[in-house]
Parts: sequence; C-alpha cells; structure tokens
Amino acid sequence: MADVRELVVRARRGDTAAFEGLVRRFYRAAYATALGVFNNPMDAEDACQDAFIRALERLDDCQPDRFGGWLLQIVRNRARNLRDYERVRDGPDLEVVAAASRERTDDASERSDLRARLETALETLTDAQREVVLLHDLEGWKHREIAEALGISEVMARQHLFVARRALRERLGRATWKEFINE
Amino acid sequence: MNDDRMDFSPLDPTADRKHFERVVASIGDRAALELARRRARTSAFGQIAGWRRPMLAAAAAIVIASVAVLTQVTTPANDDRSQGFAIAMGVPQGLAEWVTGGGTPTPADLLAGLAGEGEGAAQ
Repeated sequence: MADVRELVVRARRGDTAAFEGLVRRFYRAAYATALGVFNNPMDAEDACQDAFIRALERLDDCQPDRFGGWLLQIVRNRARNLRDYERVRDGPDLEVVAAASRERTDDASERSDLRARLETALETLTDAQREVVLLHDLEGWKHREIAEALGISEVMARQHLFVARRALRERLGRATWKEFINE
Repeated sequence: MNDDRMDFSPLDPTADRKHFERVVASIGDRAALELARRRARTSAFGQIAGWRRPMLAAAAAIVIASVAVLTQVTTPANDDRSQGFAIAMGVPQGLAEWVTGGGTPTPADLLAGLAGEGEGAAQ
C-alpha cells in the first residue's frame, strides 16, 4: 500500500488512482471531523465531498507529510461555512432535514435506533469534544495525531476525550453506555 | 483508557460499502476536471524540461563561436583605426607605422621620415 506522501505527490500530477487512495484512506477521519461540526450525516457527507475537492485544488500548498491534519482543517472550515450558511438561509428546517436523513439512510431499525441515540448524545458536546471523541473512538487515531490535526496539545486532546465520554455516559445512561463500550 | 473506547460503528460512513463506493465515485467525478488540468500541466512542464538540455547546448555553441569570431576580428580593426587616425593628424606614414608597430626608429629613420614630410610640404 502506497504511503500518504507518495499518494500526495502523485495526486499533484493528476493521478486519479492516487487521489482516490487519499479519499479512501482519509474519508472516515474527514467524516468524523465534519460530524463534529454538524452532527448530521448528510451535511457531514456534503462537507466532506466539498473538502476533498478543495483539498485537491490546493494540493500544491500542502506538505505531503502533514496531509491528514491539513485536510481536516479544510473539512472543519468547509463544514463551519456550510453550517453558518444554512443557519442564515433556512434555520428552522434543519432539524426536519436531519430527521429525514436519519430515516432515509438507516435500513435496519435497530441500527437506526442506536445511531439516533448516539447522534442525540453527541449533540450535547462541543465541536472540539465531538471531533476528538470521534477521531479517537471511530477512526482510532492516537492523541498525538489528534493534537497535531486540531492544533492543540496532547493534554488538551485527552481532556476533551475525558469530558466528552463523561457527558456521553450521563446522556446515554449507564445501561446504554455499556452497549457502546468495546470490552 | 481503551476500556472506555466507545463503539461508534453505527456512525461509520464506510460500513455500508455500496453507499461508500457511491460517495468515492461522486468525489472522483467532481475531481476529474482538476485532475485532468494537473495532468496537462505536468506534461507541459515535461516537454519544457525535455527541450532544456538541447537548448542549453545550442546556446553554449553559439556563445563559443561568437567569442572566437570577435577575437579574430577585433585586433586588426584596432590597428587600422589607430594608423588611420595618426595619418589624419598629419604624422608621416613612415612614423605612423613605427608608432602602431611599437618599434623604435633609429636617428636615420627619423631623418628620412622628416625629409619625406618636407618633400610632401614643398609639393
């Protein structure tokens, strides 16, 4: 499997397979970041797609060794811009769209229920807490990687994770919490 | 810490493989134009890079030839010009040749030269 640096260098030259490789490798992290801003799967997906296109357009500005953090910054900015735009444009409809997207994207009702409970619990967190807990627990990033990508210290990343988990535990309740913990 | 790791798999965007492949294809479609632009730019740079070496070799050959020609042409031109200038100033041709030739005239040469000037003035 080609390393990230090589994929970035090849994508700069217009290599379609290399760019697709970057999308596949970083999509979950990008999605976790966008979900940290939106907490709405469809909007998070839109933000991710836009961000990958913007990243490609600006790929010459990126240091190949730091592609991950650089990409997530673009995702974060794009997601925030979209969120602000939608708030101004049609704020009252956001919840309706979110609810519709949940119904449309979930096939199994049980999975849908778990997902809805997670999304509701995640809503109680700040953007940074959501992003940290998703990057750590969904994407499996280490604190050092998260700190670098978010431009914060490792201590702060650990602090965000600790607070986020405590808030989620309170929100989900002890019984539900145990369902979501890998043991 | 890992004991508390939460299972967010219901939120995993790649869990539904078909959906994820559609997303990747969609991003690929939107990126196609930019990728094509980058390929075109890369090949243009490649062509210029390919031409660079022969162009540099040709430029170097022209410089060497120019320097050689200029070196050949410059020396006699200076001699002619300085001798012509001495004659224009009224210096007898015999003396002008000594001056431009860098030689030292003997007293007999000087007398002969001055005599020649006197004849020229009498005419």
